[in-house]
Formats: sequence, structure tokens, C-alpha cells
Amino acid sequence: HRRLPAVIPTPPVSASPFPNPKSQYCCLSRNFSAALTPLLPVQLPSRMETHLWYVVPDEVKSAPLLSKYMELLPQSERDHVLGFRGDQLQKSALLARTLVRTTIARYQVDGHLDPRSLRFKRNIHGKPEVEWETKDGFCPPPLQFNISHTSSLVACGVTMNSLIGIDVEEKRRRTKNNILAFAKRYFTAHEVEHLNAIPDSELQQQEFIKLWTLKEAYVKALGKGFSSSPFNTFTIRVNTAAQESFCASSGIAVETLDSPQNLTNNWQFALLELMGSHYVAICLERQETGGAGKAFPIKLTARKTIPSVEDELVSGTNAVVTIGGSVTQF
Amino acid sequence: MASITRASVSMPSLSTSVNQSQRRISGMNSVSFPVSGRSMIPSLRLQRGLQVCCACQAKQETVDKVVAIVKKQLALPADAAVNGESKFAALGADSLDTVEIVMGLEEEFDITVEEESAQSITTVQEAADMIEKLVEK
Repeated sequence: HRRLPAVIPTPPVSASPFPNPKSQYCCLSRNFSAALTPLLPVQLPSRMETHLWYVVPDEVKSAPLLSKYMELLPQSERDHVLGFRGDQLQKSALLARTLVRTTIARYQVDGHLDPRSLRFKRNIHGKPEVEWETKDGFCPPPLQFNISHTSSLVACGVTMNSLIGIDVEEKRRRTKNNILAFAKRYFTAHEVEHLNAIPDSELQQQEFIKLWTLKEAYVKALGKGFSSSPFNTFTIRVNTAAQESFCASSGIAVETLDSPQNLTNNWQFALLELMGSHYVAICLERQETGGAGKAFPIKLTARKTIPSVEDELVSGTNAVVTIGGSVTQF
Repeated sequence: MASITRASVSMPSLSTSVNQSQRRISGMNSVSFPVSGRSMIPSLRLQRGLQVCCACQAKQETVDKVVAIVKKQLALPADAAVNGESKFAALGADSLDTVEIVMGLEEEFDITVEEESAQSITTVQEAADMIEKLVEK
């Protein structure tokens, strides 16, 4: 297995996944010139919108393309990517950095942005943020983003102004420990009860993963680090009339232990099933409420992408199914 | 003694035999083991740790147990190179894996790890050091 090279101006023939060296050169000269294809700009999300971008690592097979992605990163990020053990982990780490850089660049904040020139910093709790250049007259936009990745999916959520946290997980992810033992140790009593009430072990496993991703998304949205919000200090409540588990019309809310009677209204959630294989949990800071404290649904635009190659608008298709929370897809 | 250094024994049984025969082994301090140029088989490493400092013996054993739990959680092959410096994230542990690893450590060592502490451990050695502190209490 090859390690991804740090800098490859022209990939050697042996690094190509194409079987025929002649056709590989043809393809290279046709598709990949000195640099990546210029990024297509994208409109910023409006204040009420959430953009979800995702990459499926298994669909990104071209070694030359991955080399180009590596070139977009500063040395520190390349080192970080190469620090992962094995090709698969390195690839998803590379795609995560590439996705966030190319996506933010495409919004063309400040006219023209090169994904290479973006700088990132961490807030005092460790949450990554863009460090915008402070130029005269330039007021940085309130662009918010959050990334999550597994080996099989890399996702980035973007909003204007709303704090956002996202978490992705494979539906069939299994815990090594017994679910209820794990939940008793780390979740709240209500959540344990919710899981305990599910007789089918497959469904129980899936409910566990849904709860896990929602809790992760909440803590990531808060941006204060996991130690400030241990998982057993807040409950994810699913607001259903009769059903025991999530359904499309179920509202999801968070309740913190220190104010048990008041559901924390600042945060709204969406739970999606992506491509039938993954759960994506999104937590957003609530911007405005409708009458009587009722929230507007989350306006979601979802795009599957291979950075610098192609995009596919998938919201409203079978690829993105809302399974929890109030969401309208555009 | 030759049987301890040469035989390939699983870690738990070796540590048991070492504990019981500690006095005998410390008496071997002056003997030079032919270790240079050889691969560091676990039993030899533990022996050298004993020679250097008795307190280090617990640390190596703890590290080895942490390594075993990490390998199991991340489904790594038994011969995967994992040591004290290995970072959980670099081995492929996501946040759920890390919490499961901590839960495994709690069970193995009969300790309770607060979430604040759990968040701060990123390597095998850090986990072993934290365990040592908690076990001492």
C-alpha cells in the first residue's frame, strides 16, 4: 500500500490507477493540467439555510486527483494527514481537509478565494474556525462550518451565522460493548429508558447510533469541548405521540440537566439517513422563532461532491431522507 | 530464568510469574542478558524494566493492557505496531471508539474515569499514566 505523497507535480506512471500507461497519459493531459480545475463558485447560504456537502471516499479513486488535493494543504495539514495509520484513514483525513477548504473557497467570500490561502484556527475550546484576513474595509462574513468523517463518508455543514455541529456515522456501526451497559454509563436515564424500550436488538442498535450522532452534533455545535458538556448532563428528547423511536414527523429537542423543566429552545436538530447507509445529525443554533416559540423548519440543501470534479444536488431525492426533526429540503 | 526470557508466554501469565518471583529476578541485576541486536520480545522488555526500576514494571504492564484493549476496540491485527506513543486518532479511533476504549479500561482496571480526564487522553501512554494515578487512589 502506498502512502499518499506529500507533493507530486506530475505523478509517476506507477502511481496511476489506470492499467494502460498510454491511456493514463492521455487522460492526465485531458483531465488534469498543471493544477486542479478552477472551483465553481457557489452562492452563500441565506441566513435561514443550511448547506450540507459530502464526499464518498470510495468514489474518489484517482491517485493523481488525491495528489492534487494534497497540494492544496499547508505542510502542517499534510503532516497531519500522513500521520494517520494506513491508506484508508489517510484518504478520509485528506478528503475532510479538501472538502472544507474547497467548499469555503467556493462561497467566494471576499471576491476570489484560493482554497490554499484559507487559514484556520481553533477557538479557546478547540473548535476549528476560519481565520479571515483582516484587510481594510473587509468585514468577515459570519460563515459557520463543521466537519465530520468516517472512513466511508466525509461531510461538511455550512451556515451563515448559526452555530452548527454535525456528526455522521454508518447505520450498521456496532459497539463492542453492550448498548445498555454503555448507555447506563454515559447517557442519561431517560435515554437509557428510551433504548431499553426497544425490543428488537437491530433497531435498538440503530437508535443508539442515532442518539450518539445527535449528542455529538449538539456538543460540536456548542463548540466548548466535550468536557464542558459530558453526555450524561443533557438528554436528547424525541417528541412523538405514540411511537417509541424516531419518525419523520418527530421533533427532537435537547434538555440540559441543570434546567430540567425547560427544554433548551436555543437548539434545533435534524436527523437524516444518507444513501441508505449513514445517519447524519445536524444541530443548529436557532435564529428566529415563529409564533409562540415554534421554530421554523431547517431549510436544507444537500450536495454530494468530488471537489473540483463534480457536484450533484441530492436534497429532495432518495439519497437524503429526513428521519427526525423539522426539515424542508431544497 | 532461561525459561522466562526465552519462552513466549502471554503477558498476563508472565506478569503473574514475575510478581511471584520478583525477589529472584531482582537478584539478576548483575547478569548481562544477551539482548543487544535481538528483537525485543515482550518478556525481555519486562525483565529489563524490572532491572532498571521496580516502579516501571507496573507501567509496562499497564501499557500492554491498554494496547490490548485498543487493538481489540479498533480491530487491529495482533501484530500491529502499537506502543505508548501511539495516538488513538492516528490508529483510526473516532470519538465513539475512544469512549469505548475508556469504558474497557474502567472495566479492566476497576476505575472510574471522569469525562474531563477521558477527553484529555490521546495516546496509549497517557491512558496508562491516568490509570496508574486512578489505581493509586
